[in-house]
Amino acid sequence: MNYPLWQIGIPGGLLIAFVAVVHVFVSHFAVGGGAYLVLLERKAHRLNDAGLLEYVRKHSKFFALLTLVFGAVTGVGIWFTIGLVSPEATSSLIHTFVWGWAIEWVFFFVEITAALIYAYGWDRLDRATHMAVGWVYFIAAWASLAVINGIITYMLTPGRWLVTHAFWSGFFNPTYWPSLVLRTGMSVVLAGMFGLVTGLRLTSPVRERVLRYAGIWILAGTAFLVLPARWYFASFPPEAKTYFTILLPAMQRVIRLGIYAAGLSFLLAALFAVAKPAWLRAPVVALILLCGFTVMSTGEYTREVARKPFVIGNYIYANDLRLASFPGFNATGFTASAKWVEASDQLAQGRQIFAIQCGACHSATGYRAITPRVQGWTPDFATDILQHLPVLRGTMPPFAGNEHDRAAVGAYLASLSSAEPGTNAAELGHRVFQQRCSMCHTIGGKFRPLALAGTDADSIDGLLQQLDSLNSDMPPFHGTEPERKALAAFLQSGAAN
Amino acid sequence: MNRVPVPTADPMPLPGPVWLMMALLLVTFLLHLLAMNLTVGGTAIALLCTLRRKSDAFAGRLAADLLRVLPVSLAFTITLGVAALLFVQVLYGNLLYASSILIGAFWIAVIPALVLAYYATYYSNAHPGRSGALWLALGLLLGIGFVYVNNFTLMMAPQRWLAMYRESAAGLHLNWSEPTLIPRYLHFMLSAFAIAGLIVFAAGVWTRSTEYGQWLLTQGSQWFVAPTVLNYVVGMWFLMALPKNVLLDLFTGNLLGAALIGLGLLLPLAAIMHIVLAAKTEKTLLHARLGVAATLLTLVVMVGLRQLVRNAYVSPFVHLSELSVSSQWSVIALFLILFVAGLATVYAMLRPLAAKPADAVASRAAAGD
Repeated sequence: MNYPLWQIGIPGGLLIAFVAVVHVFVSHFAVGGGAYLVLLERKAHRLNDAGLLEYVRKHSKFFALLTLVFGAVTGVGIWFTIGLVSPEATSSLIHTFVWGWAIEWVFFFVEITAALIYAYGWDRLDRATHMAVGWVYFIAAWASLAVINGIITYMLTPGRWLVTHAFWSGFFNPTYWPSLVLRTGMSVVLAGMFGLVTGLRLTSPVRERVLRYAGIWILAGTAFLVLPARWYFASFPPEAKTYFTILLPAMQRVIRLGIYAAGLSFLLAALFAVAKPAWLRAPVVALILLCGFTVMSTGEYTREVARKPFVIGNYIYANDLRLASFPGFNATGFTASAKWVEASDQLAQGRQIFAIQCGACHSATGYRAITPRVQGWTPDFATDILQHLPVLRGTMPPFAGNEHDRAAVGAYLASLSSAEPGTNAAELGHRVFQQRCSMCHTIGGKFRPLALAGTDADSIDGLLQQLDSLNSDMPPFHGTEPERKALAAFLQSGAAN
Repeated sequence: MNRVPVPTADPMPLPGPVWLMMALLLVTFLLHLLAMNLTVGGTAIALLCTLRRKSDAFAGRLAADLLRVLPVSLAFTITLGVAALLFVQVLYGNLLYASSILIGAFWIAVIPALVLAYYATYYSNAHPGRSGALWLALGLLLGIGFVYVNNFTLMMAPQRWLAMYRESAAGLHLNWSEPTLIPRYLHFMLSAFAIAGLIVFAAGVWTRSTEYGQWLLTQGSQWFVAPTVLNYVVGMWFLMALPKNVLLDLFTGNLLGAALIGLGLLLPLAAIMHIVLAAKTEKTLLHARLGVAATLLTLVVMVGLRQLVRNAYVSPFVHLSELSVSSQWSVIALFLILFVAGLATVYAMLRPLAAKPADAVASRAAAGD
């Protein structure tokens, strides 16, 4: 481990997710909102509608205040956060894409200048120039999205970059185009949603005109999203599809939630903004915004999960360890190469390695807590299981280190167990299954189902005694003989786990 | 154990020549410094003037003028800072990430503090005469500056890291044991006030035919001169607080160090002299030009000197010339083309504004950034 580990009690990934989701919600609005402003300004001039023009003017101030301050600073915030949480991955991204970021910075600079001139130049510029500045803003904002999109999608699907290590092959990677189209569509939706926010307080007849207009942006944007979304998901790495269907079935609920939220905001916008704008009230707008936020967050979350166990696909794991460093870790030991680990005893060493290797996604008792998952584990069993992390339920990186490192983490994990030996024989089999088998198997589920119901208990007991020879990914059975017998009986019964 | 856990540099080669990235780092840092000085110093002056507005009508007017500029200058402080941060990461990332993590709690607090300070300047602009939000903005900006000075000194002192990390991994440290911490911070903040004073002075020179312009000219010159004089004392303290080897390296390591120190001592003196003469004599424009030029040169010298100090500090841990380089020339070329096109676009957008100067200070500050 090259860098110190920032230990704040919550997994760093959660902090990144929080800052990032808040940022993308505003920054996509910052892209679509630019076009929304200029097109509405043009409409106001064409219709010679002073009320509408006044609205565009006010909306432009709101726009500048939200995007230039909150949008821009939270963007810097992502950078600060990833540097603190994943310095190794951040360093790698910087080394690969520093010139991409430099290009993005040029667009950002133009964008900021144009936004300020647009928002504060209403009285000082003639119409044509003012609208031209608005277009410059929109083009620069969209271009900065197009650049950052290359870096974000690279992390998911680095594609040929893994072989070439060349900027352009990483940038124009397999998910670049679908993601860019999808994000562009999303920025149209968000422009409409925020248009409702400022349009709400207007008085008739401008109110109806603005709300209808903003509503149409939501409807058009949402309808447009359908095809690119399918294209985007279809271009995900094949492993991701396994995650969503078998390993992490809860992800289907997340994806469905995003789709429902998009559908709900579509219906609400159709009814309250386009058909009956007079009915639109603040709570409905809040609900529509919440839907937009849900669509954005589920989308970003899905992308993050699809990337696991990596933070940069097949290059750096989510715990900031480089794939290429693993042979070294395994040969010389993780503790030896971790510059910041200093442990007085085995348990302390185990805790520190756990914090480094597992802390990005797990805490002992809080988020994705590990304590309930290791109940009943003995040091031997835990040490054994650590050899097989990638085959466990979920999407974990392998353990990095030699047998001493593993024994230390095993001892630490077992120390979290407070399970009392069972007294009830009928429950014992079920519990042993939960503690020793359920991280890799289900009974009657989709994930490596075991179908042993009806098989004679002695045969099952025989199999349990030679697990490691059945499959090299399975540890031998570590429990006591009564536990083994109880497990065999439980498996025979065919009861669901 | 007295290990010095300097993280190994990234295994990827640098994507461009060191000289180019160093040049971009120094140039963008210089521009960031100018915008930062206007923002921090301008906030302080705006607060001072807001408090004085009852007894002095011009003070109220200047406060209002500055308040229009501050949200804009803060936007550019951030934008230009982002560029400098980008290039410092590619060159010194292994040091900077480690020190950032050690002060992580304060480092991440910069973000909410910045958002709050930003909105406080907008609020003050909308409610001139109220000082509460300005106090808040100034406090936050000074705090952010302090965190930055902590991080950028701590990144050069890996020998302190392990002891800090042993004590706590929650990122609650500051670099208190750094002898240059306080003088370095004061040096930056006093300069910020001085440069903002100089900008007020320049606005006064621009509009010196009016009574308000004369007031700006006089006040601005005082706000420039007093902190600059004080900065000689603080600068000496800073210099003397530098570790022996750094100081030795600076004076004897190469001619550049000694030359820059010499210029750093002489140029501000020239600046003070010309600014005073501009305020006191008839040849205002000439002396003002010379004074501003001497100050800008001082900033260039100081940025160079700061880099030499950094070189000396990190020489045991970092050898930039030994890093492998694989330049992405096609991307660099695209960046340079877009950079020029971007500047041209910004110029084209600003030109119609400059043609109708509704407010001298605001429009020039926007253009000057």
